[in-house]
Amino acid sequence: MSLVRDMISIAAVSAGAFFFLAGTVGLLRFPDTLTRLHALTKADNLGLGLVVLGLLPQADSLRDALKLVSIWLLGLLAGATVSQLIARAARQGGSIR
Amino acid sequence: MRAHVAARVSVASRAAWFLCLWLVLAGATLDDVPAAATAVGAATWTSLRFLAPGSSRLSPRALGRLVLLFLYHSIVAGADVARRALDPRLPLRPGFVAYPTGLPPGPRRNVFATLTSLLPGTVPAGDQNAQIFYHCLDVERPVIAELAAEEEALVRALYND
Repeated sequence: MSLVRDMISIAAVSAGAFFFLAGTVGLLRFPDTLTRLHALTKADNLGLGLVVLGLLPQADSLRDALKLVSIWLLGLLAGATVSQLIARAARQGGSIR
Repeated sequence: MRAHVAARVSVASRAAWFLCLWLVLAGATLDDVPAAATAVGAATWTSLRFLAPGSSRLSPRALGRLVLLFLYHSIVAGADVARRALDPRLPLRPGFVAYPTGLPPGPRRNVFATLTSLLPGTVPAGDQNAQIFYHCLDVERPVIAELAAEEEALVRALYND
């Protein structure tokens, strides 16, 4: 059973790392502030979610599992709110590079 | 009188949620009680100040549907951005789209904007009158229809008053 758990962890954390990498590539390659925001919020939130999903089978207790999920939710909330503020500022200030 | 009781219930339930979050994040240690009490009090006060207790009823089934829709969108959105970022031709057609919303300005519209910031290819960038401006990675995608479906799901889950 622990082999199955470890396989799930390795697969999910690797997939999460892939999305973090893709988000970072987007941050470097996309042309302006607004398009870069897409790369960071979307790819990193999915990456963080997959890393959390992969770590859940390794959690020692229910509290540790809930803590991991809370971290993901707080990360989502922060990303979703801050990206709007940056997007609003970028729209009003013209195209900032 | 009834409104007074409802307000107290909502204060207590919010404080209980913040206490649970504290216990999950920081653990239950006796030494932490003063810090926990301060944090829970401050969080409850702040939440009541910025989000007054509402009258709308939650629908658990519709809420479950909204959560599933949200998870599905997160996956599609992440995959979409990853594909565009890693494609050597960098396929982007960025631009703004104005979405006409039926939600009033204030908390409801803000919740909708925050939720839709995780839809594939859209980031909300401010609102004016009854429109929310979205920055899109690809303006040729059916953004308006997706936003309308999301708004309907949100209204069913949280705001069916």
